[in-house]
Amino acid sequence: MSDSRIEGYARALFEIARAEGTIDEVEDELFRLARTLESSDALRNALTDEKIPAARRQGIVEDLLGGKATVTTTQLVSMVVGGGRGRDLPAIIDKLVQRASREKKLEVAEVRSAVALTADQQTRLAAALANATGKQVNLKVIVDPSVLGGIVATVGDTVIDGSIRTRLDNVKGRL
Amino acid sequence: MSLLSLLAADPSETHHWLLPETAEIIYGGIASVLVIGGLVKFAGPMVKKSMAARTERIQKELDASANDLASAQSDAAGIRTALGDIDAERARLLADANAQAEALLRDGRARLTAEVAELEAKADADISAAAARRGDELRTEIGRVSSSALDKVLPSVLDEATQQALVENFISKVGASR
Repeated sequence: MSDSRIEGYARALFEIARAEGTIDEVEDELFRLARTLESSDALRNALTDEKIPAARRQGIVEDLLGGKATVTTTQLVSMVVGGGRGRDLPAIIDKLVQRASREKKLEVAEVRSAVALTADQQTRLAAALANATGKQVNLKVIVDPSVLGGIVATVGDTVIDGSIRTRLDNVKGRL
Repeated sequence: MSLLSLLAADPSETHHWLLPETAEIIYGGIASVLVIGGLVKFAGPMVKKSMAARTERIQKELDASANDLASAQSDAAGIRTALGDIDAERARLLADANAQAEALLRDGRARLTAEVAELEAKADADISAAAARRGDELRTEIGRVSSSALDKVLPSVLDEATQQALVENFISKVGASR
């Protein structure tokens, strides 16, 4: 899909979520869903396979998100997947998150951690990243076991890598 | 005795025990003169011609012999000259052959020396490459074993407390940096 279409979808989803008054939750849920889609080939294939009827794909979305995400999130994702744009869902969501962050004058900070972070840790981490980058950040935490330990934070073009995975790769490289 | 006295003598009387009768001498003399004259008249030119032809033939043979002798002497001189040339040519050929043999030997030695040097260099390079390859293989194997060991050990080392410590350490470090 072209960038303009992705941008159009992102703007539409953003406006709907903002109108519903659930933009923060929706943005957060969609971000986690996008990362899940990126890491799961099976789920991505199921949601993008044109041979599967749209209703069936939407059913998969509702089974996946029902009860775990807000109704708005579920409906928005179902709409995109039903429209045959499941392949572009991660890109649409990323645009939506950027737009939401811009609205709040924040920079998206993608944080990958091997373990879930507590609310206190997220608050302190957001403050630390703001101190390090000089930008107020919209923290998006992804639990990623491949990190093994520690955290990888990406703010714009800046990557702060404190993961065990990277250290381990360095050690392996030296070996 | 005159001719007339001979004619007048008795033919039946023998006048000398050794000499023939006078008439016999006369007739014999006349016959001899006739025969000799005939011989001189008729056979003389033929004999003379034959002698001249023989003389000419002998002269021709003498001339031919002289020519053959001159030719033989010329050939002998040529052969002697050729023999001298052959000696010079043989000497030149021998000198050329010696020079070529010397050059071949020199080239052969140089090529052999170069080939030996090349073989030595190749052997050194092969030994170095084999050593480097072995070293690489050893390092790769050490890396593989170490990686495998790290992958097996890390999950047990990275318990909840360690994970939290890593997170806190990251937050502290990032917060302190600017």
